[in-house]
Amino acid sequence: MHAELDAEFRKFMHARWPVMVRLAYALTGDQGHAEDVAQTAFARAYASWPRVSRAGNPEAYVRRIVVNENLNRFRKHRVAERLTGTLPESSIPDATRTSDDRSALIAALQQLGPRQRAVVVLRYWLDLSETEVATALGCSVGTVKSQASRALASLRQSADLVDGGAK
Amino acid sequence: MIIGDENDLREQLDRAFGPVTPSPAPIEGAVRRGKAIRGRRRAGAVASLAVAAAAVAVAVPLSQHATRAASPASGHYTATVHVPSPNAPAGAIAYGTINGQWWELVASQPGTDGAGRGQQLVTASGAAFGSSGLADVEPPFAPDPSSPVALTGLQSGTTQCQFGAVAADVSYVTVRLGNGIVLTLHPVTVFGVRVVAFAAPAGAEIVSATAYSAHGEIAAAIPFNDPIGGASFGLWLKPGQRQPARFSGRVGSGTFDGKAWSATAYVGPWGLCVVDRGGGGVSGSSCVPVLAGLGTSVMFWTAGTPEVASGSAAAQVTRLVVTQPDGTTTQVRPVQVGAQKFFAFAMSAGHKKVRWAAYDSSGHLVASSTLIPDAGVSG
Repeated sequence: MHAELDAEFRKFMHARWPVMVRLAYALTGDQGHAEDVAQTAFARAYASWPRVSRAGNPEAYVRRIVVNENLNRFRKHRVAERLTGTLPESSIPDATRTSDDRSALIAALQQLGPRQRAVVVLRYWLDLSETEVATALGCSVGTVKSQASRALASLRQSADLVDGGAK
Repeated sequence: MIIGDENDLREQLDRAFGPVTPSPAPIEGAVRRGKAIRGRRRAGAVASLAVAAAAVAVAVPLSQHATRAASPASGHYTATVHVPSPNAPAGAIAYGTINGQWWELVASQPGTDGAGRGQQLVTASGAAFGSSGLADVEPPFAPDPSSPVALTGLQSGTTQCQFGAVAADVSYVTVRLGNGIVLTLHPVTVFGVRVVAFAAPAGAEIVSATAYSAHGEIAAAIPFNDPIGGASFGLWLKPGQRQPARFSGRVGSGTFDGKAWSATAYVGPWGLCVVDRGGGGVSGSSCVPVLAGLGTSVMFWTAGTPEVASGSAAAQVTRLVVTQPDGTTTQVRPVQVGAQKFFAFAMSAGHKKVRWAAYDSSGHLVASSTLIPDAGVSG
């Protein structure tokens, strides 16, 4: 890769690393996994950087990989991480309200399917449009709308948020 | 915490994940893994061709280059190559200089440093390769039973290098460059395999390589010097063996989404090579060390807009139908160059499947497959 493109990638990764880790954290519920997923996404972006850079929206490209990496991770561990109605262990309360809220929210998000979780995070936290979310997930806008509606309804009913977090 | 509406959810997400402080960005790790991914894509495309080719002829693809064209090197350059010193790290293959700028080639132990099982990372570093160097993942070094030296190429914008395993009876190899310099390569043992390596300016013509045993010349090779500045070694000819004739021809060209593309095949003492030119000046090449007899398969495709796919066609193929992701179809006619038919077509980038099917004159399907542009895989 040309030195200018290499430098451009490094600058981009330095700037967008925190955002992608936070996105991956919201999707995976684990900061270690999140950093793995984000690094994989940036590595894959580097592998195609001349084309990604030319396309003009590298952030969308990396974001899509982060989402897909998480979906793939879930698929790979489908048996090992089968979702159940109740978590095997309750979260340990943290010393700060932020950590309590985060633990409760992570627990609630983990109760959603991986695609619903991705819709929630992309639509309501990153404030992407329904079209952008559909592009990131490779689905229709109608699917995004229905998944968002169902996810919101689930979160409203979530016992983790009512019982587990700071009220 | 209670989530009533979308605004509550936004606020809670922001409060929960906004303060998360990640570790420092592992930029070097991502770059290293990215280079390894790029190498695996290349190896995957080569492997898919090898499977197709094996059905018709015992042929192993030599190399693929995908890069922007390098400026032809002038004849005014110097190049040296040396065996590593006894204190060099494990995996060191060779070092040297180009125009006084140092370079070094080091292999990792197979299956380590980001290389998967059955792969080996090779790293070129030093001022001659620029600040970031080059890395590629290749199958582990192994002598090729059909040739005395199994050379593989790597290329940056300014420098190319060749490296590979040698047969047990090879004592040394000489490489003649276009400006008259002759490099002498002495094999070194790297992770149990005897290998050689050298480097030259990108775009510099590499005229030939000759392998010698303790008793004299074993074989010589004339590489294909592609227009993007790298060389591909293929056929090795024994002393006195006649050089194959040279042919070349345009096997596809046109415009796609308003951008010009083309593909040209070259047949000669190196074997079969195809050079693609896609959008944005991005080019790629692929070579196979045979003169004919390849079956019907896509050999490789290059990055760019559009992406250009090139392939070989069996003798009975008279037309191909290419179906783009939007359902539009294109008829493609294979072109004969030397004793082999080739075809090429353009496709849009974007991770969506492009299907191709080859037919004979009776309309019977000969072969078909799908490509996924960008992903570097075929399905």
